[in-house]
Amino acid sequence: MTDPITIQNVIFSYQAHQPVLQLADLTIPRGSFTLLYGPSGSGKSTLLRLLAGLLPKYGGHLNAQAAINLAPQETAMLFQDPSLQFALDTPQHEAEFALENLQVHRHQMRHRIRDAFATVGISDLADRQFATLSGGEKQRAALAVVIAMHRPVILLDEPFASLDAKNRALLLAQLQAQVAAGKTVIIADHDLANYQAVQPQIIRFDRAHQATQLPEAAAQALLTAAAQPIALPTQAARTWPAAIVGRKLVLERPHQRLLDQANCQIPANKITLLTGESGSGKSTLLKCLAKLVPYQGELTLQGRSLQKYRPRQWGRQVGLVFQHAADQFLNVTMAEELALSQAQGRHPYFTPANLTAAIDLLGLTGLADRVVYSLSGGQQKKLQLLVMLMMGQPVLLLDEPFAGLDAASAQAVRQLITACQAVQPATIIVVSHQLAGLAGWVDCHLHLSHQQLQDLAEVRS
Amino acid sequence: MNPSLKLLLVLLLSLEISFTQKLVVNLLLIAVGLGLVIATRPGLLTLLRLLVVPAIPAATLSITIGLFTPGHDWFFAAVLASRVYVYVLLGSAVTLSTPPLRLARSLEQNAHLPAKFAYGTLAAINLLPRIVTAVKTIKAAGQMRGVTLSFWSPRLYFKAILSAITWSEQLAQAMESHGFVENQPRTVAQPIPLSKIDWLRFVGSFGLAQVVLIAFP
Repeated sequence: MTDPITIQNVIFSYQAHQPVLQLADLTIPRGSFTLLYGPSGSGKSTLLRLLAGLLPKYGGHLNAQAAINLAPQETAMLFQDPSLQFALDTPQHEAEFALENLQVHRHQMRHRIRDAFATVGISDLADRQFATLSGGEKQRAALAVVIAMHRPVILLDEPFASLDAKNRALLLAQLQAQVAAGKTVIIADHDLANYQAVQPQIIRFDRAHQATQLPEAAAQALLTAAAQPIALPTQAARTWPAAIVGRKLVLERPHQRLLDQANCQIPANKITLLTGESGSGKSTLLKCLAKLVPYQGELTLQGRSLQKYRPRQWGRQVGLVFQHAADQFLNVTMAEELALSQAQGRHPYFTPANLTAAIDLLGLTGLADRVVYSLSGGQQKKLQLLVMLMMGQPVLLLDEPFAGLDAASAQAVRQLITACQAVQPATIIVVSHQLAGLAGWVDCHLHLSHQQLQDLAEVRS
Repeated sequence: MNPSLKLLLVLLLSLEISFTQKLVVNLLLIAVGLGLVIATRPGLLTLLRLLVVPAIPAATLSITIGLFTPGHDWFFAAVLASRVYVYVLLGSAVTLSTPPLRLARSLEQNAHLPAKFAYGTLAAINLLPRIVTAVKTIKAAGQMRGVTLSFWSPRLYFKAILSAITWSEQLAQAMESHGFVENQPRTVAQPIPLSKIDWLRFVGSFGLAQVVLIAFP
């Protein structure tokens, strides 16, 4: 048990001669807090899935010489997207299912589940349907189940992508307590913010799909750089002409009122950042603007009520970039997706030359024939953003556009949006937990809390 | 009654009335089924749906038999129509009175169905709301790309099937990530009792149905 985890001679690939992970020799000490850090598509998730025993069982090929001295039965894994991790209907039932599988006696089971739920602070969510939980709440439920499983090694694949800073710090503290209790925690992440408090050892993955352990000083420097506070100098939304105006707007979800706002407005042709705690209703607000969920009250776009637009017209006015990239795709290969947006899209920026440049900028060159669903999470996200930008709707709603993107990719995306705005400006609302790099890019900042949208520029002044 | 026995009873009765032509028995079973459904206090909408939707196949069947067969056998038409209602009402009596998880647990514990089957089916049931959302999302995704996907569009179904395939694989991974191993013994969080009283009720109900079947023409 006390031997470190060693990973040797691992070459993993989905397609012949295109390895997505190459590791000659990597050691992870037991009882440590280890961070696999690197850009999207560098093989971090792949390594976690190998350790969890999900690969190569569910696809891909592992070379015969590979040696990993960690049994999948020793691990419990938290997926990147928590909603994909549940087979049952409520957190309580899911935890029971997991512990039944581990052959825990039912008397112990009750205590273990109660303790784990209390640790993560979701005791009050135990019997709620997963469908009624927000992304952040689901993530915490998934962690609670993993903690209840009492496995010695906990693997987490970008667990904080849809969590706000408060929940993130909370979860990190809980994971740290697990390490203190002797567990090994291995996290794959591309964003180092908030990790400084836990002082993890960092294994850096590069674009050549290789990994090296960073010396302590280098790791420290990276963590310090990522922990710098972010200032978002913004102007009040009211100082610009409004594109979208809401009056007496009420948004609800089962068990919860999310928004109850007398007046709100979104400035035309500007980039508005929308923040708020996990579960506060940011995604629901975007879905409401896309007319995917009902609302009460009055909403207008350029003075015309949303109700008056037929679905087809509305699709031409508003583009919603979904949180799950795969939801956006309508075709099989990347080339087909691009062709559809070229045929239907109206954005003047995307001339053939500019499109090629954009593909290159986003690091998607040479992937034209790949099935979109086989691309890495980050590549899917970038392709999704590209095909939606090409459509050129006057209103663009971006739900966590930077989740799963490394700093360079996120920067490339922002650069592309800025270039598009210069040619034909659109009213853009961005929901994002990741604030790094947004200063100077967003024009105003709305914060959703306690059922109210606050303009942070007005709050500050 | 124990969920597995309840299901078995309904299956046996449905099988039996499929091979007999006794209108009175069917009507009695409809009355019992309706009583059991109402006892679960369903919403008015659920109740209406249960009564109206089967009317379509029932009417179709009876009109076909009554008007367009050489014998114009309206009695047989009524038998067929009432059969539809027996299936629907008895089936709903089981599903409305038993949460799906309890049924799955009972099938695993009492009927010794492989856990993979019991929980696989359950997980699929839990996916149903997601399918509704997914179809809505796919349509919206199309709309925003200038493609209108009506409910007969092949693209909608292609996407839906693709989602289903992805989900089935993800589901397998989800179950495995939570420690599920096929054919490995599992403990139970909530034992589903199978008592003598359950058996007595089962045998009693089934026996009573036989008596009624023999007694009425």
